[in-house]
Amino acid sequence: MAIDFTKTGVSGEQTFDSFGCNVWHVNPDTPDLVRPDIRFTRQVHDGADVLMPDGREVRFWSFSDPNATNADKDKPFPSPLIRVRQGQVVHTTLKSAKNTHTIHHHGMDPTTFNDGVGHLSFEVSGSYTYQWRPANAGTYFYHCHKNTVLHFEMGMYGPLIVDPPEGPGTLFTGGPRYDVEAIWVADDVDPVWHEYNHDAGLCGEDVALDRFSPRYFMISGVPAPRTLTDPRVIVRAKPRQKVLIRLINGAYSVLRVAFDLDATIVAVDGRGLGRAASPWSRPIPLPRGTSVDMTSAQRFDFLIDAPATPGTYGARLEFRDWGTGEIHAGGRGVAESRIIVA
Amino acid sequence: MNRRQFLTYGGAGAAVLSASEEAYAQATATRIDLSVEPADVELIDGRVVYQLLFYGAAQSEPRPVIRVTEGDLVTVTLRNNAPEPHAFAIPGAPGAEIAAIAPGGRGEVTFRAPRGGTYLYLDPLNAPAHRLLGLHGALISTPRDGHTPGGALTPFSAETLTPATRLLFDAMRDDPTARFVGDPWRPAREKIWLFAQIDPALCEQAELRRPIDGAAVQRTFAPRYFTINGLSGFDSSEAETVKPKGYVGQPLLIRNLNAGRNTHAPHIHGNHVLELSGVGADGSVVVRDNIIERDTWIMRALDRKDLILPFERPQDIPPGAWPPKEEPFPLRYAMHCHTEMSQTAGGGNYPQGLTTHWELLGPTRPTATS
Repeated sequence: MAIDFTKTGVSGEQTFDSFGCNVWHVNPDTPDLVRPDIRFTRQVHDGADVLMPDGREVRFWSFSDPNATNADKDKPFPSPLIRVRQGQVVHTTLKSAKNTHTIHHHGMDPTTFNDGVGHLSFEVSGSYTYQWRPANAGTYFYHCHKNTVLHFEMGMYGPLIVDPPEGPGTLFTGGPRYDVEAIWVADDVDPVWHEYNHDAGLCGEDVALDRFSPRYFMISGVPAPRTLTDPRVIVRAKPRQKVLIRLINGAYSVLRVAFDLDATIVAVDGRGLGRAASPWSRPIPLPRGTSVDMTSAQRFDFLIDAPATPGTYGARLEFRDWGTGEIHAGGRGVAESRIIVA
Repeated sequence: MNRRQFLTYGGAGAAVLSASEEAYAQATATRIDLSVEPADVELIDGRVVYQLLFYGAAQSEPRPVIRVTEGDLVTVTLRNNAPEPHAFAIPGAPGAEIAAIAPGGRGEVTFRAPRGGTYLYLDPLNAPAHRLLGLHGALISTPRDGHTPGGALTPFSAETLTPATRLLFDAMRDDPTARFVGDPWRPAREKIWLFAQIDPALCEQAELRRPIDGAAVQRTFAPRYFTINGLSGFDSSEAETVKPKGYVGQPLLIRNLNAGRNTHAPHIHGNHVLELSGVGADGSVVVRDNIIERDTWIMRALDRKDLILPFERPQDIPPGAWPPKEEPFPLRYAMHCHTEMSQTAGGGNYPQGLTTHWELLGPTRPTATS
């Protein structure tokens, strides 16, 4: 079936309306379709509450995996991992169920139609299959790119990991190996925003989406301070093992990151530092007790050598306001976790 | 004099003031005439706010881009047509300062144009208030000699080039073994992305001539509009002064500046960028010796970063789908700040904030190396 690009942002007339308020809603075929090596389905899942430490339940939206036989089938938040090998042709089928959404594979560089930006292509009201083929092993994420300010905050994201052809255990071809891996997504939550409806703020409505006052601070869906103990977050390693922490800043804060152990930033935004194709880059040491700032949507991969001596070593994420630079919530905006070497 | 100008949103282009755009001109004297003018500015959602803006002598466009050549003697004159004192400074350009000028007065300074790179000129008074009210612009210093030993042209002074910069600029060439096969970087392949933030409450305070305390503004500034070169959302996406275009193999330099207070997280789709430079503690241009490819970078208040958008084939398209046969060129890719509050205008209206896009016109250059 021929694709009518004039019904999309690709060839349709770009107007003020089509840019934000009245974006194209279609469910086209995938252009230039090739046979996939691996397929994923992601279904919009719009109702799951997370119990916060103060007893408040906060609503999150997410993508679930309808084909899963485990918790991912009805996983509330964050959305299930997409993990592929470098060089695989991937098809991600979005099922929007109700309203419209998109999937943007953040850090992937596909064609416009497969990039999930509504005003440049289209929003999906039913179903669309995004086609991409990762060329670089590393840490990415995927998220809804409709009314992104709200939909991303509502939790419509999940991690995306690309392994090199060698498979997990190597960050990228020619790059460091690791024994233990953690995938951490930092997030900050303004519960007021979580009461809004899907299209809040579009089409001229002032719902104060320029004011963000987070009260909960999370790693991988776990609110602090449970991040200190929750097995979904804490890292367990044996002495002298190599630990890889893939950190995704899914917050709207500037994230200040520090570890009680010497670390090395070995990749940024899905690009290995010092890899053959990038001789102008090199890994960045992060000595224990020093910090590095990550802005929204950046990914840093930290490699840490577990010491020979067993012990518990801290990791600290400070969520800082993008305007004042101060730690959010009057200094409470911190999520800590631990690397337990035993 | 208290002349008020009315600017509509689409009219805020980028005039260029320059005595010489030659890359290798001999040292010459350059004179730049500026004025500070009050203006009523219409924003993307139709709201009109009071701002203070730098104009060039012709007063046709606000915040003119000033172009100078490294080492030239540059004279800036500044007339203050606003009702309160204003001043002038260029962080990183020693001596480029004009002290407070009374309303109706005029000031002048002569200085040597700084090393090749991107600079921000601004009103440093009552910091950051006057800057946030609109008194800022970009100054581009062209190096007297910007070549790598391998012969590639760069936007930096040869003596500030690092091994990493030399490797990178030498890797952009018409050679199938090069990382970025295509044209070398050329000075004409450039876009300036000057970020700014507008808080209508601060604008009103200035318009009503209520006292403004810079330290208080630093704490309470609450921007509701987010601009690139004075434009937002739909307007910045369509503006030729903002939107990069080109074919695969035509690398482009992005000169990114943040005149606002808040930290931005610009995220680009379609290609990763290579971060070439940053700002030293004294405001000088720091050319990086560790060039990192990023899809998202950090822009703090007063940051200036030069980045290469390589215009390479988007790496994550399956080989069997490249070049696309069904999906037409240009491929268009968003750039937007990922601290998504900046994607709003007036509290909603996603994505009418700090965003634009870039266009990949085709898979090969129409005439290679022309």
